[in-house]
This record gives sequence, C-alpha cells and structure tokens, in this order.
Amino acid sequence: MDAARKQIDTSVEIVTPENISFRYWLAGPSRRLPAYLIDVLIQVMVVVSAGQVLGSVLGSVGLWGSFSGLFLVILFLVHWFYGAILEAVWNGQTPGKRAMHIRVVTVQGQPIRAWQAVLRNVLRAVDCMPLAPVALGMPEHILPLFMVGFVATSLNDRFQRLGDLAAGTMVVVEETSRMAGVLKFRDERVNEIAESIPPSFQVNRTLGLALSLYVQRRKALSRARRLEIARHLGEALCQRFNLPPTTDHDLLLCGLYQKAFLGSPSAETAGVG
Amino acid sequence: MRVLERLESRRRHWQELEQLCVRLEGGSRKVPAAHVSRFAGLYRSACADLALADAYQLPPATIQYLHQLVGRAHNQLYRYESSRASGWYREVFVDVPQRLFADGCLRLAFAIFWGVFLLCLFLAWRDADFAAQVVGKESLMSLEQQFSFSYRPQADMQAGMAGFYIWHNPTIGLRCFAFGMLAGIGGLYETVFNASALGAEFGFMIHSPNADNFYHFVTAHGPFELTAIVLLAAAGMRLGFSLIDTHGYSRADSVYRAAQRSVPVMAVGVVLFLLAAGIEAFVSPSSAPYSVKAGVAIVSIVMMLFYIIVLGYPGRREQRK
Repeated sequence: MDAARKQIDTSVEIVTPENISFRYWLAGPSRRLPAYLIDVLIQVMVVVSAGQVLGSVLGSVGLWGSFSGLFLVILFLVHWFYGAILEAVWNGQTPGKRAMHIRVVTVQGQPIRAWQAVLRNVLRAVDCMPLAPVALGMPEHILPLFMVGFVATSLNDRFQRLGDLAAGTMVVVEETSRMAGVLKFRDERVNEIAESIPPSFQVNRTLGLALSLYVQRRKALSRARRLEIARHLGEALCQRFNLPPTTDHDLLLCGLYQKAFLGSPSAETAGVG
Repeated sequence: MRVLERLESRRRHWQELEQLCVRLEGGSRKVPAAHVSRFAGLYRSACADLALADAYQLPPATIQYLHQLVGRAHNQLYRYESSRASGWYREVFVDVPQRLFADGCLRLAFAIFWGVFLLCLFLAWRDADFAAQVVGKESLMSLEQQFSFSYRPQADMQAGMAGFYIWHNPTIGLRCFAFGMLAGIGGLYETVFNASALGAEFGFMIHSPNADNFYHFVTAHGPFELTAIVLLAAAGMRLGFSLIDTHGYSRADSVYRAAQRSVPVMAVGVVLFLLAAGIEAFVSPSSAPYSVKAGVAIVSIVMMLFYIIVLGYPGRREQRK
C-alpha cells in the first residue's frame, strides 16, 4: 500500500525480506470469470448431490422436515462459506482458481489470512450486484451481473473488486511455466557461421538480451519475417566481421547466440532445434 | 563462465526447489525438518540468482521462470500459521467486546434501528392504515393468518424450520453487512427498511385478535435476532463510513483498517443469528408457558449486556497484563 509503488502495466512488483524484487502478474476478468463459473458449478453440484443423498436417507424414514432443515443449512454454508473456507485452507485458492492458475494474495504479495478470505467472499454479495431475472418475466432476480465488481476492478490498478479492497487482497496469475534454458541448434550451418565469427568479439549485455529474445521467438516467425528482422543487426555485424554480404543474417544471429551462450560450437549440437 | 554452464549448474537447485514447492502446496503438514531448512536455503539462492540474472545474461524466458519460482516459494515460506486457540479466546472474549463497547457505529445502528422500530410501532398502533402502507395489505393478511391459531409443529417440522431460519436470517444480515460497503448507505437503507417493516408489523398485531399468539411466538428469540441485525448493520456501516471519513489515511488503507475490525463483529452477529434460529425453531413454537419464553428472552438480554458491557468495559486489557 505504499504510495511510491511503480506500476506501468498489469504486473505488480513485490520486494521480499531478502531484498529481492519479483513480479506477480495480475489476473483480470478473463481468468476470474471462468474460475468463478467453475466454482458456481461445483457449489451447485455439492448442493444438489447433498440433497439427493439426504433425500434418499431421510426421505426413506419419513423425516421430510429434517431433510429440508439440513438441506437449507448446507445451502447456507455452501452459499456463504464455500470460497471463504477453501481460500483459507488452500492458501488463497478455490478449485476454480486452481484450474485457472490464479491465487489470492495480499497486496503486499503475502499469503492471505482467514479473515481476509471470509471478508472478500461475504462482500461478493455487493460486488455481484445488480441481480437480474434468469429469464425475462421471471419473478426471482438471482442472476448476478457483477457490474459493481466490474466497475470497481476497472477503477484501480490492481483489478480489485470491493471485497478485495476491503480485505487488502489481489488476485494474481500463478503460471508454472517449465524451466526454459538455452536453445540449441541442429543446423550445421549455424556452427559454420559461428566458427567464422572472430574469437575476440565479446557479446555485451544488451546485445545478449537482443539475441536471446530473437532466438526465442524466431520459431514462430516465417522465413521472410526472420530475414527482415535479422537484417538490421546482421548487416552491421557482417561489415564488422568482414563476412560476405550474401551471408544469411538469420543464421548469423543464431551462430552468434550459440557462441555467446553455449560456448565452443563443436561442444554440443543435439537438442532442441 | 558461459551462460549454458551457469544454467546447468543452477538448474538442479531450481528443480529441487520446485519439487519442494509442490510438496508444500500439497497441504501435507508433515514435511521433514531437513526439507524445510533445505527449502529455505534453496529459496535464498534462487533469490540471489534472480537478483544477478541480468549480470549473468540469463535468457528472458529463464528470468520469467525464476520470477514465478521465487513468487511460488515466497508464498509458501511466508505462509501464515493458523491461529492458536489462545489467540481466538483473546479475540472473542477481550478484543471484540471492547471494540463493540467503544464502537460509534454500533450505537448509531442501535439508535437508528430501535428509533425507527419504536416510531413505526407507535404509528401503526395509532393508525391501522399505517402498517398497510409500510408493508402492504397482503403481508399483513398472511401475518394475521399465520398467527390465527396457536402453532404447534411436530419435532420433525421444527428441524426443518431451524434450517429455514439458519438459511434465511443470516443471509439477510450478511447482505445488510455487505451493502454497508456502499458508503454506508446500503446498510442504512437495509436497517431502516427492516426496522420500519418489523415495527409496523408489531404495532399492527397489537390490535389483532391473535395478538397473544404473535407475542408468544416472537418473545423468546427476539432479543438475539434483533441484536444480530443491528450488529451486522453496524459492522457494514463501519466499512462504508471508513470510505468517507478516512482519518487521514488513503481510502484503500482506511477501508482495510476498518475491515480488520469489522470482521469479528460480523462473526458475532452471525453467531447470534444461529442462536436465534435455534430458539425460534424449538422454543418459540413450543407449548411452554409464556413465563419460560420471557425467561429465555431475559437470559439472552443479560448475556448480551454482560458480553458488551462487562467484558467490553474499557481498561480490562491493562488489568489482564
């Protein structure tokens, strides 16, 4: 909640006690709505199946009064405390949130406490306003439109609805990407070009960053697009290394990447292409 | 050192940390101590790697992976311990009563609710048309009919009614709380709405031939139920008013501070609703004499006064230390 926090996009910077800053990406409506729908579906399934079981057990002995009583107690617990209990126990996640890879954390990036889970779930009652009839002409207004929550999320830079604002929480994306290392090339021509680069040439930090960004993305680009992008750097490098102007700029950048990041070109050629 | 070699030397550690994260997230509380201390060490070294990522020339994809890994591990390492029982005891029997005693919003909600309630009761008693204007003729008719005979349900039906009250009443109260968030106006509206409807009905029933049945029914659970709605309205108003009067904090901080204090009050309100539901289902419709029901009402009033005034009287905190 510090006033001096820098935020330029939908990522929030968290500074840990180890004095390391890392980033959380905020979850917007496109992830939170499906998560909510999954949770609603689970709630409906729990209530309906509890009704089935209770009905068959208590109905067979004729205790219809107890059946309706227990059923309504379950409805009460599921309606108001499904999200609260699960978020408190599962460290900020419900099944829907787990499926959409999102998690509730405090605005300081720490795990939430039980009272925060309870509060943000109770206050969903006001975030889901206004209620609409399920079909035109139906008397019961039970379909939540979430306009209050939607407006609230768009008015602050952490996508917090009113419940999140009061509880001091935010919802972040928790993508668990696989570890991506250095890419390797199968193409022999890359090795040839790498050999022809003067050994004295040192790749500095900005050039290294540009190379690795290019190599990471080139697989998704067409051949013509690769050449178009690689030309800007490739022409300058060709002049510098005294390479013929017919050199393939795409392969030249790959060769330079290989030399800078993988060491001697003959060391390894197998792996990801 | 080439980037590849550095990555290869670190990769093992990162993957080990990732596996430990998976184990800790699995919810199994019994992670061996050796793993926990190993986890802390691995987390710190991953932090160091992230700090030096730029200098190491790590590829952007790896840096993003490290951000996620550190975030994930941070979330496990700084996880809150679940509260201990003694903390709960202190919160419930010391902090909350004191907060209630000193809570201006509670006094306001109390005054508004009972003021409007008594005013509407008086007006409905004076003028028979008033109640019909407030709650409508149909609901007065159904109220009259509901109490036209002395209602004595079977035990099975009582359980059903208890469930209904548990579902219905706290839901109204929690909505009242949540709407307080709208600058307090939502909560005020719900409070005045409930108070005027109840007051009009009470005033109307004075003239009814079935007045005895009605007052027999409402006496026992009334104190808990009406106090519960006042508590939830007050907790909601505290949230809403904190948006307006921020005491010099930013609005977000002000709401957050108020929220921390209002959640236990909300919980007390829900508990009172549950107690009221039990009484309403099992005592109120029973054939016990009126003196028993009045006794239940008096005991519940005394309990609440004890909780708010005796436990909540300022200065107890110092005495305990």
